[in-house]
Amino acid sequence: MLEPQHGWAIAKRIQQVSREVLQVQQGSLYPALHRLEQKRWIKAKWAETETGREAKFYELTAAGREQLEKETANWTRLSEAINLVLETQ
Amino acid sequence: MSWAESLWLRLKPLFRRERVARELDSEIQFHVEQQIAENLTLGMSSSEARCAAIRSLGNLTSVKEQTRETWGWTRVEEIFQDVRYALRQLRKTPGFTATALLTLALGIGANAAIFTLVDALMLRKLPVTNPKTLIRLGDNSDCCVNGGAPDNGNFALFSTEVYERMKKSAPEFEQLAAMQAGFAYRPIVARRDGTAETARSMMGEFVSGNYFKTFGLRPAAGRLFVDSDDVKGAPMVAVMSYDAWKRDYASDATVVGSTFWINMKPVTIAGIAPQGFFGDRLSTAPPDFYFPIETHEAISNAPYVHNHDIRWLYFIGRVKPGTAILPLQDKVSALMKGWLKETKIFDNQTDKSLPEKTHVMLTAGGAGIQDLREQYESNLQLLMGASGLVLLIACANIANLLLVRGMRRKMEMSLRTALGAARARVIRQLLTESVVLAGLGGLAGLFVAYVGAQLLLKLTFAGAHTIPIDARPSFAVLGFAFALSLLTGILFGVAPAWIASQANPAEALRSGSRGATAGASLLQKGLVVLQAAMSLVLLVGAGLFAQSLTRLQGKDLRLDSKNRYIAHINPQGAGYSTKQVEALYRTIEQRFHEVPGVKNVGISIYTPMEENNWSNSVQVQGQAYAGKDGSVVKANAEYFASVGTQVVMGRGIGVQDVLSAPAVAVVNETFVKDLFPNGENPIGRRFGAPGPESPGDFEIVGVVEDTVYTSVRWKDHRMYFLPITQRAPSEKVPIEQDPSMYAGALVLETEAPINNMEELTRKTLSEINSNLAVVKFQTFEQQIADRFHDDRMIAQLTTLFGGLALLLAAIGLYGVTAYTVARRTSEIGIRMALGARRAGVIGMVLRGAMSQTVIGLAIGIPAALLCVRFVRSQLYEIEGINVAVMATAVLSLTLASLLAGMIPARGAASTEPAQTLRAE
Repeated sequence: MLEPQHGWAIAKRIQQVSREVLQVQQGSLYPALHRLEQKRWIKAKWAETETGREAKFYELTAAGREQLEKETANWTRLSEAINLVLETQ
Repeated sequence: MSWAESLWLRLKPLFRRERVARELDSEIQFHVEQQIAENLTLGMSSSEARCAAIRSLGNLTSVKEQTRETWGWTRVEEIFQDVRYALRQLRKTPGFTATALLTLALGIGANAAIFTLVDALMLRKLPVTNPKTLIRLGDNSDCCVNGGAPDNGNFALFSTEVYERMKKSAPEFEQLAAMQAGFAYRPIVARRDGTAETARSMMGEFVSGNYFKTFGLRPAAGRLFVDSDDVKGAPMVAVMSYDAWKRDYASDATVVGSTFWINMKPVTIAGIAPQGFFGDRLSTAPPDFYFPIETHEAISNAPYVHNHDIRWLYFIGRVKPGTAILPLQDKVSALMKGWLKETKIFDNQTDKSLPEKTHVMLTAGGAGIQDLREQYESNLQLLMGASGLVLLIACANIANLLLVRGMRRKMEMSLRTALGAARARVIRQLLTESVVLAGLGGLAGLFVAYVGAQLLLKLTFAGAHTIPIDARPSFAVLGFAFALSLLTGILFGVAPAWIASQANPAEALRSGSRGATAGASLLQKGLVVLQAAMSLVLLVGAGLFAQSLTRLQGKDLRLDSKNRYIAHINPQGAGYSTKQVEALYRTIEQRFHEVPGVKNVGISIYTPMEENNWSNSVQVQGQAYAGKDGSVVKANAEYFASVGTQVVMGRGIGVQDVLSAPAVAVVNETFVKDLFPNGENPIGRRFGAPGPESPGDFEIVGVVEDTVYTSVRWKDHRMYFLPITQRAPSEKVPIEQDPSMYAGALVLETEAPINNMEELTRKTLSEINSNLAVVKFQTFEQQIADRFHDDRMIAQLTTLFGGLALLLAAIGLYGVTAYTVARRTSEIGIRMALGARRAGVIGMVLRGAMSQTVIGLAIGIPAALLCVRFVRSQLYEIEGINVAVMATAVLSLTLASLLAGMIPARGAASTEPAQTLRAE
């Protein structure tokens, strides 16, 4: 999901990618998006959808990409650690 | 993303609140619609699809709220909300708002205006480099050309020789500059060479060569003085002030290096002083030119530049870093003493303790020579006191208004608390209202301050051609006023907010407006009483100053100002030598008599009721010197008639009293009374300066009435009058150097008022000699009125403040009474239903209102009696408060209170009993 997407598409995408495992609580999506925007990890602009409607599109910024890598690395490390702990048992 | 963009991202929700909120709405809306569309494709019915879509998002409002919170402005938004709500509340009660704003604006504005004047006159430093390190030698403004020593031995005015010695012997001074003390009294005549311009009377100050260096100034053009300019025989140069350069010569660059005829002597303009530099003191007539001290003799014919006994200079210096002031002060005093001993000046003094007393005080010199400050200090203090009292009254008013408002809204607050509002939130809301009110009041106050300061300056310096002060209140003053306003708001906003929040909602709601609740609280009544007392004090003060002014102006000056015009002239500046003036005066008399309608042509060195005085010690021949002095006026034969002074014995000055004739004098009645105490006939007796020969100098030929000179406050003023071209036979100063030969003024008496007299005078004079410039032209009446200017200003301003105080006190009383009546409406309704009459109700309300005024009077009268001692020295012939002033003040306050009480009382009396009771 590196191209600009609007909120609904993001929610859908998460659902699909996680093979419907992660059901994003749609109500908490928008506060989260706005918080990310305030932190300048994503930026938003209004644009037309394929169906010709105005929607707010979100896009990762350079800072956001950096943050994503950092968080991903963190997550990988953490999940690996947990895996290790679980496997040794 | 640039920092500006990211800042905008943060701030956008705050400033574009509505738009951002709309965007959020449409964003959520879009989501819902997308979901509906998807649901429809899944085969749901349209209503099902909609419900499911909304359900999946949850509570829409709560989602929006949570999103907003991420913007981080909730707290600020709350404040905005409070402010908006406060503004709405204020709009809803226009009477309250207008009263409070007016009170704040007047109270704060008056103070800020006065403080602007105080700041400018008393606190502001000279616009020079590092004014804090400037030190002045001396702490008073002794002026202008004095012989001997000051009576108290406290030196501030020095001779040229002392300057040279001080510079040499006190190396602690990095720079020590000297400047002419009395330049204001000796205008110069200037005309640019090679131009057709007429000669102008301008101001010139004589200063030492290091004057500009001491102040650390850089020229606007050309160069400033160097030490070698101030040396005997150096080419004559001058520095022009920036203002004169701009005003009179349109900032013409060729002025630098050109020749000017200054008092008919050629002087080269070396440069232009920096913009904004107005000399070493605040003045309504700042120097247009600066000249080196050494040129004073040539330009002004001043014989005293190198006379070691004549003191005419002020000193301002800059000490080397790390110099201790007190030891330096002792050293300077010792130098002064040593010099006086050496030059034997002590030997001529009657006061033998003088060597002991001689000293010099070192004072801060950053503000320059503060003679204007000395002149206005006591008046400004008085005005500050008066405006301070007005502010206190205004504060009491605001407190009262806010209290009344707070109580009135108890119900509302109870309801809010009952509905679950936090107590802190309620207090914050009320406090916001007070602060908003105070802020608005502060803004209005700034406006009043700005206008008021302009007005005050115009009043203070009426008639001055330059007002040396910037009337715009400084940031410090504005900040102070605004802070004061906010402080008032917060201080007096907290109390009612607290009281309102303390209310037990259940109880408050239950009792509501029912029941005979007590009226205004003790605090409110106390404030009203205090206001009444303070305004009485101010009213009494206003009355006293008005009365003082009436007495001053009503004083018989023993002169006649009707159809008289006074033209100040400067024959020395026009190039006349002392030997030529006798012929000049004859020509002036003759030419002016040729002007139709001119009756008398008086010529003198100065005139009655102007700020000038020449004083000498006198000794009557055959008597011991009694340490008495007298003021001297030298005048021509028509002078007494032209000013309206009556000759009571002998004769006045005659046309025959010329330089070659025997020296004669005319004295005034006080002179006779003081120097011939045994009723001796003064005619034919002789007097003069104290000494072995000089008491025989002048023969008294006549006695005149005591005409008031200089000031009405100067009583028992000994004076003598000499023919303008005569000199004391024993005089040692050669005639060439005798400044008393030069006339300073013409007094023209006409048959009837002549409208173009000024024009006629200028024309007649320039026909005699084009360099005979008019220094100043006024009617005699204007000149006299000018002398009462300060007293008039004080009387007007204290009256203004008294009126303001009265108005505010009346508003305060009205507020409290109206509030009480409102609280007691139902009680009054019951009373009237039971048969109380309108008159009875009015009486009851009025009694309540007046009782506070009466207590206020009981406090105010003794307070006024006590306060009068602080202003007695500023009053003329008024020892204490008299009955008329007190009665007027008491009556005004009582009437204002009656009026303020009557309005709510009548309102109470028109209560419809049936209606009020039904409303319950």
